[in-house]
Amino acid sequence: MFFYLLNWQKYSKIEEDMLNINIKKWSLVFRLRFIFSLCLLIFVLLFLYLKIVPFGRIAYERDYSDWLRSGKGFIYGLTPSERTDLISGELPKLIGDPIYFSLFTPRTFDKVKIIIEYRDHLSADLPIIEAGVLTDKIVWNYDLKPLENKNIDYLRTKWSETSKEGVILLQKEKKYSSVQELENDLQQGNLIDCPQGIQNCLAVYNYPFSPSLKIGGNNIVTNEPLLIINQPLRGAHQFFFSLSSSILKLKFDFVDLNQDKDLDPIEINLYSGDQLLGTWSKDDINTAGELEEKEIEFNRTDLKPGIYKIELKISNDIVIKKIESSASQISFINKIWPVSSAGNLALYTDASYLQVKAFSPASLQPLKFGGKEFIVDEAYKQFYFPLLSTEKVKEISFKKDDLILENNGVFAWSRNSLINPSLTKVDRFFEMNPDIKYLIAGYTSPVLKNDFKVASVELNLKGAYRENGKYSLMISVPGLKEGNGGDNYLEIKNIRVELKGRTLWQKIFN
Amino acid sequence: MAKNIQLIFRETFYFVFLAWLVFITLEIIFPNIILAYFNLNFLFLLEIIIGLFLLIKK
Repeated sequence: MFFYLLNWQKYSKIEEDMLNINIKKWSLVFRLRFIFSLCLLIFVLLFLYLKIVPFGRIAYERDYSDWLRSGKGFIYGLTPSERTDLISGELPKLIGDPIYFSLFTPRTFDKVKIIIEYRDHLSADLPIIEAGVLTDKIVWNYDLKPLENKNIDYLRTKWSETSKEGVILLQKEKKYSSVQELENDLQQGNLIDCPQGIQNCLAVYNYPFSPSLKIGGNNIVTNEPLLIINQPLRGAHQFFFSLSSSILKLKFDFVDLNQDKDLDPIEINLYSGDQLLGTWSKDDINTAGELEEKEIEFNRTDLKPGIYKIELKISNDIVIKKIESSASQISFINKIWPVSSAGNLALYTDASYLQVKAFSPASLQPLKFGGKEFIVDEAYKQFYFPLLSTEKVKEISFKKDDLILENNGVFAWSRNSLINPSLTKVDRFFEMNPDIKYLIAGYTSPVLKNDFKVASVELNLKGAYRENGKYSLMISVPGLKEGNGGDNYLEIKNIRVELKGRTLWQKIFN
Repeated sequence: MAKNIQLIFRETFYFVFLAWLVFITLEIIFPNIILAYFNLNFLFLLEIIIGLFLLIKK
């Protein structure tokens, strides 16, 4: 009995010890699992928070000087590879124009501020650096804003300056004490000491003002088209037209080449200055490889005589076969691409330079610009033909079509049709005209940080093109060409994007 | 003590595997939610290292 009790006590002690050990073991496992589960939950919630961005604000950054990256990040690539040099230096070098990069965002945002830290090795003929976001994939349109404009930076050191909320006003002689004063006069269409009109004495840059010019009209009601352009033009175009009556009749004949399999919708926008007056569009359902004729016709009877703008948003797969209009003058803005002509083309422009690209080897040819001969001897390469001429209107003549002609002015098929209500833009071709007395720009100069410059742009993402969660962005140094011996390049150290959008509560309740 | 260390490693192995599964599921549902910040290959590598350690100790 004694032994039994002793053994019982002994066995129960062993059992008790074992139980204690089990409790301790279970306790450690439990504690570990509890901690790990908590960690996992925190991580999942953190990633979901970063996905939803409930407060509507977030910033992403890519430092190109830092080689260690724990994740894919949000800012991808500097492409195409032939315009970037990623290996010769510590930092990526941009050696061509334009350079693309994309921004992945976990949700949509309304605005973005892009802050770029860079070092430029650019010659004086490359004074501008811009950045922007793709807004329209069909016409490949980027909304570009300035990072740096050395022409304006130079004038800032010479002229009198006043500023207001990111808008600067530079004056040769101080006539206005504030930006607002000048803006008030601009709305009236006249400026102090500008007897020849604002177009002669005001230069603009990144400033949303284009004059809606009224011209004297007789309000003649006419149903017959006055101007017919029979020369086919390929791809997106914009043109100014002057209307001398209150009736606008426009008829466009298109041919969809269906050379690529993408859909080719057509959109036509009518503007007066910057004000959109109307939109007409036609969807595309056929992507098969046959030619397809389309037509858009519209009439407006509520317009005043004046200068208006038409924007034709079409892809390069569409040819504008014919334009019939009640306008008295038509001038194509910045670009014209004549195709399918019988030969011997003559155009007129008001710009002092021409950029020409042959779209096929069959289009290589000599070309006359302002009486001087230039040769286009390589296909798909953009040629730059400057002209030292005092003539306001220059003639361009060439024999074969399929040339893309571009400049910062307008093109017209006759000397009399040339109209350009645009103000002088402080772009890379800007020449200081003694008549220019004022410069107004939405511009902030970059600041120096150590050896680098830091500049920022603010872009609207509401209408921006987004595919697979990515916005397509661009850094542009107009005129920078790859293969120039590496003399001119832009080094990118850091890109930071600060996004702003609706909060979660605004998304739920609005 | 040695047993405790082995226990900790075993539990860490389970945790890393579970975390990897959860993150991959999240990544399938919301692309780039994890990969933008963190490369899951690192987690997989950690899983293999712990697994090998446990096998050797066993």
